Amino acid sequence: MNWFNFFPLIMVVTLVIMGLYVVLFKKNLIKMIMGIAIIQNGANLFLVSLAYREGYVAPIWTSAPATDMVLPTPHALTLTSIVIGVATTALMLSFVIMLKKHYGSINSDDARRCRE
Amino acid sequence: MNVDLLLQSPVFILGIPLLFAFLTPLADKVSKELRNAVFIIGLLLTALFVSLMAYEVYTIGSWTYVFGAEDPTAITDVSFFRITFLADGFAVLATLTIIITAVGVGIYSFGNMKDFDDLGKFYTLFLLTLAGVMGMVLTSDLFNLFVWFEVTSIASCGLIAYHNERGESVEAALKYMIISVIAGLLLLFSIGFFYGEYGVLNYFLIRDSMDGAFIDILAIGLVMVILSMKASSVPMHMWAPDAYSEAPDSITPFIAITSLGSLFVLFRLIFFVFRGAVEPSSIGNLLIILGVLSMFVGVSMALKQSDVKRLIAYLSVSQIGYMMMAVGVGFATLGTADYGAFGVNAVEGGFFHMINDGVYKALLFLSVGGIIYAADTRDLNRLGGLAHSMPFTTFFFIIGGLSIAGIPPLSGFSSKLLIYKSVYLYNPVLAIIALVVSIVTLALIGKIFFNAFLGPDQKIGMKIPRSMILSMGVLTVIIVIFSLFPNYVVSEIIAPAIEALGVAV
Repeated sequence: MNWFNFFPLIMVVTLVIMGLYVVLFKKNLIKMIMGIAIIQNGANLFLVSLAYREGYVAPIWTSAPATDMVLPTPHALTLTSIVIGVATTALMLSFVIMLKKHYGSINSDDARRCRE
Repeated sequence: MNVDLLLQSPVFILGIPLLFAFLTPLADKVSKELRNAVFIIGLLLTALFVSLMAYEVYTIGSWTYVFGAEDPTAITDVSFFRITFLADGFAVLATLTIIITAVGVGIYSFGNMKDFDDLGKFYTLFLLTLAGVMGMVLTSDLFNLFVWFEVTSIASCGLIAYHNERGESVEAALKYMIISVIAGLLLLFSIGFFYGEYGVLNYFLIRDSMDGAFIDILAIGLVMVILSMKASSVPMHMWAPDAYSEAPDSITPFIAITSLGSLFVLFRLIFFVFRGAVEPSSIGNLLIILGVLSMFVGVSMALKQSDVKRLIAYLSVSQIGYMMMAVGVGFATLGTADYGAFGVNAVEGGFFHMINDGVYKALLFLSVGGIIYAADTRDLNRLGGLAHSMPFTTFFFIIGGLSIAGIPPLSGFSSKLLIYKSVYLYNPVLAIIALVVSIVTLALIGKIFFNAFLGPDQKIGMKIPRSMILSMGVLTVIIVIFSLFPNYVVSEIIAPAIEALGVAV
């Protein structure tokens, strides 16, 4: 085991911290949604790097070499998560468009009318 | 292949809402009546299969449904690498709670929403949310749980923002969406931890291989934070009052039901999966702290509200606290002699309170929806004198209000009494806090009642539609049944649920 094995995990932590910083400290709603998308990519990278096993091949039976195969579950989970991520990002952005029409602003400080 | 239809019922509980969700917009192209008929048939068929599943569980016992297997009810050595559904007493309790409210809300929507267009899509989102919550409580696979979690989030956000001509609705939906998406991502990370540690995602396999390492504790903590966030427990409750008060009147109880669904999943996970790997008192005490905070903060925030829907939204946050506290007490005493003495009663009280809460909260929100429909305002200072023109709604509000405050002989009293008695033996302070919160709840219900219903007749000409009265009547009948036979409910519905979690005495 060398340090290179940990490289994906270091990237995951970096992405999540970057995303969380943007979500927590930026006031612009579109930037917040971009931050969420960055965390999403971190989660996907995390799952894919967990699935990696050294010396194993992709689980495709057609003319496969006679070695061990990786379990496809994390890859399926990652694909699902990417699809769901696109859907949620699109939905959130469309909410921001409607909010801009009603409030004339995409600053999260202005989106506080529910409480009044 | 020859499998009993009854054993297939978990699939139909999901499949029917999904199918009818996409039939309603098609039927909408033909006529409004056909669309309404398709929607109500879908709901009632789902209810039918829930009761078939309940019948089967109570007569032959629980079973695991394996998707994609040649014989879906047989357990082989590869079964737990497929998607599995667990049909047991606990799943029955959860699906019953959800379907009762869903049918009530569905009938109510006919009258309440009839002045709006594009209802085909409204019913689509409604049935998709129903399928999502049902999937969350039925599944026994973490991957599958994530999928249903996201289906529920996306569909219910669409419902909250249904009145998108109002900026506030969109704002509430955006807040809820951001919270849900971040919760979903944290769930994904905790799934990653479980997979990295054990290479499996099924509840059974995780339960059998968990050893309580640091990474397990981290993943369990994440799951608990996520699910209590979705259950609108303090301190992660800030989305709930906005979402509850800005959603269409008929949908508010349904959003509350998705919170209850998350709570069911949380209890399933801690009792069924995590129990062996952790010190029971740690999770139990965490739940008690969250529960007491929710009860107390919820009810004190409700004191200063003048918007009637926001007020009940905060009351609902405080009711979530009762369940978390009661179940937390039960969990904290697991494995000791105290569990047999009072812990199991605390869990019974908590679960009984969940099914009660689903029904009376729906009745409260729907009767308040009736007020808003007739008087066209949500401000308590401007409402008044509605008892003259709306006798039925007044009656339903009183039933729901007395039940949420735990006044005998209504069903809320039976479950709260179980909670007080058992929690008192664990720590008297908890029982005193619970009693005080109940009294304040009663005062708040009295405040709404005096402000909205009493006073001189304001001559409101608006009649509320019959379907709204009908749905509130159905929910009232269910509350009355629960109030008349609490022993029967506890022994026939709650006890099998506790047995299914493997913690019966």
